[in-house]
Amino acid sequence: MKENAATRGIGAIALALVLVLGCFAGAANAVPSFARQTGQECPACHVSWPELTPYGRYFKLTGYTIGKAAITSDGPQYLPMAIMAQASVTNTRNNKVTDPDTGDTTTVTQRNNSLVFSGGSLFLAGKVNDYLGGFVQWTYDNLATVTNGTLGGHSSVDNIDLRGAYKYSPVGAGEPEWVFGMTLNNNPTVQDPWNSSPAWGYPYTTPPLANTPAAATIIDGGLAQQVVGLGAYAWWQKTIYAEFSSYRTANVMGNLFRLGLPINTAGGVYAINNFNPYWRLAYTHEWGPNSVMVGTYGMVANVFPDNLNASGPTDKYQDVALDAQYQYISDEHTFTAQTTYIWEKQKYNASYAAVQDTGAGLGAGPTPDNATDMLRTFKLKGSYYFQRKYGGTLALFQTTGSADAGLYGTTPDGNVLTPNSSGYIVELDYLPIQNVRLVLQYTGYTKFDGGRSNYDGTGRNAGDNNTLFANVWVAF
Amino acid sequence: MKRTGCAILALAWVAFAGVACAQDAAAIDPAAAKKAVELCSTCHGPYGISTSPDFPILAAQREGYLEAQIDAFRSHARAEKDAHDIMWGIAGNLDPAIIKGIAQYYAAQTPAPGRIQDPAAIARGKEVYDKGVPARGIPACATCHGPDAKGQSIFPRLAGQHASYVVKQLNYIQSLVRAAPVMHGIVKDLTPEEIQAVAYYVQSK
Repeated sequence: MKENAATRGIGAIALALVLVLGCFAGAANAVPSFARQTGQECPACHVSWPELTPYGRYFKLTGYTIGKAAITSDGPQYLPMAIMAQASVTNTRNNKVTDPDTGDTTTVTQRNNSLVFSGGSLFLAGKVNDYLGGFVQWTYDNLATVTNGTLGGHSSVDNIDLRGAYKYSPVGAGEPEWVFGMTLNNNPTVQDPWNSSPAWGYPYTTPPLANTPAAATIIDGGLAQQVVGLGAYAWWQKTIYAEFSSYRTANVMGNLFRLGLPINTAGGVYAINNFNPYWRLAYTHEWGPNSVMVGTYGMVANVFPDNLNASGPTDKYQDVALDAQYQYISDEHTFTAQTTYIWEKQKYNASYAAVQDTGAGLGAGPTPDNATDMLRTFKLKGSYYFQRKYGGTLALFQTTGSADAGLYGTTPDGNVLTPNSSGYIVELDYLPIQNVRLVLQYTGYTKFDGGRSNYDGTGRNAGDNNTLFANVWVAF
Repeated sequence: MKRTGCAILALAWVAFAGVACAQDAAAIDPAAAKKAVELCSTCHGPYGISTSPDFPILAAQREGYLEAQIDAFRSHARAEKDAHDIMWGIAGNLDPAIIKGIAQYYAAQTPAPGRIQDPAAIARGKEVYDKGVPARGIPACATCHGPDAKGQSIFPRLAGQHASYVVKQLNYIQSLVRAAPVMHGIVKDLTPEEIQAVAYYVQSK
């Protein structure tokens, strides 16, 4: 029965693909706005979007200023807008959970094995002048809310990265000696040009309806679209890159950077105190068709436990990460690999004290049993593409951390749970044209939210959350 | 006979295009030099010496040839994949004065040193380059590209070029993906082994 449903779903997605291709077949020049700006095709900047080539990184770090400005003295030059959309079918291996007390069975995720339109994004992106450029992404999530068992849509601001950059080339230099820049953005690491850091790291797309591990470090998307940060960076001889940014809650004048986020919902967003530092240091080198980066990044975030009461004591999250990237890019064969390891020290100065005093946390904030916890995330991914058209990816991920009953609960026999999860991803990609990407992705869990088997006390095993995800991703 | 014909053709090109000469760096339009340093160098490397063999070395390339190629990208006359994906956009945003200046800038740069790869193939490549393949009526490359592969007039410099890039372009020309009627007639009967050998030879120069 499940196979039949999956087959129907995959058939439907194939039909959707045909329709999409049919619609766009006559619009081969309708490419995303940066491509319209530069006159170049996707492979100039992307190995496979969103992963950047060396030229793509240069384009980003020089402020998205290569090519034509959207508006010049001669008038509008191109439409500085683009759209992106995804539709998919997801199969969760075991989508039923049975209450051990009542015996009632419920579904884990909705629309299992059904074709869903995940949502889409509208981009405003382009070059302002030779020194300024950027992009603003607005995303409609078609599966954002659940009301009376029905999924509903919601739209909100997504990633924003506005830049100013200056290239310094002394007389006689063969390439810029320095690139200096500034970034104004709403997601720590969204400004990063390497695909080993979280915002643009693998997986590049995930099932919209899937049960996923609960724990993640705060720099790994925790503050996305909730904060606004201003940063300055310098890139010396395309070898040493250094950046320092400072983030604060995107309120008051920064509200545009979190427009549409559930800021009035308890636990809906993070509220951070004053200015919170972010840093990035990287060594890069290119030789032949190869490029390598070895670096470190991190941030310290002082978080108000109750986002609806942004005052008083805070919890402190200290994230320190190492990362590396290797790329071999040629016309026929492309191999890329990225890895990162993030250490997060969670100092629950406010929440732990509240739990000790009152037995409860502050608002919807955490309720830790420990004053300090650790959370560590490891990610490793390797991809091969043939002619930038046929691709395969293998990835490993692992999250480990302190056992804390207040945060992660206990097993039925009283053992304190950890945030530990681990697994792998196998992905196949096919890009029939540069703007369309077909993804078949399998995610397997060897550990989930602290355990391999019966991790939640309902008899559910980690592998029950494995997903097979077939996705159509288009960008024009 | 074919060799003589090619030589006459070369002389005709010289008469038509004028004699190109190395430019005085001081005479190069600063805006064009800035474009070369801050944009072209991203793929073609500092001073036009790229490290990735996907992108040609431009240092010491013939000015007239460079200008003609950028114009060909601009007009979409060159339409192989790299041209379409990357160079159409780059060239489309350049005006004729900047294109000329960029060509002058790269023509004035110090050439890339030769790199030895597969000596046996280089020896075979030298033979084809210097003498052609008379038995199959294939003229010598040296006739147009010069005895040292430095190019002449609008015929491009090949010396020091990435071997894999030379192979790629000869394949494009052989299969008419890159429109170059004269070159197509000359290289259409070269075997893959001969193309590889010639490419290793010119890379070594």
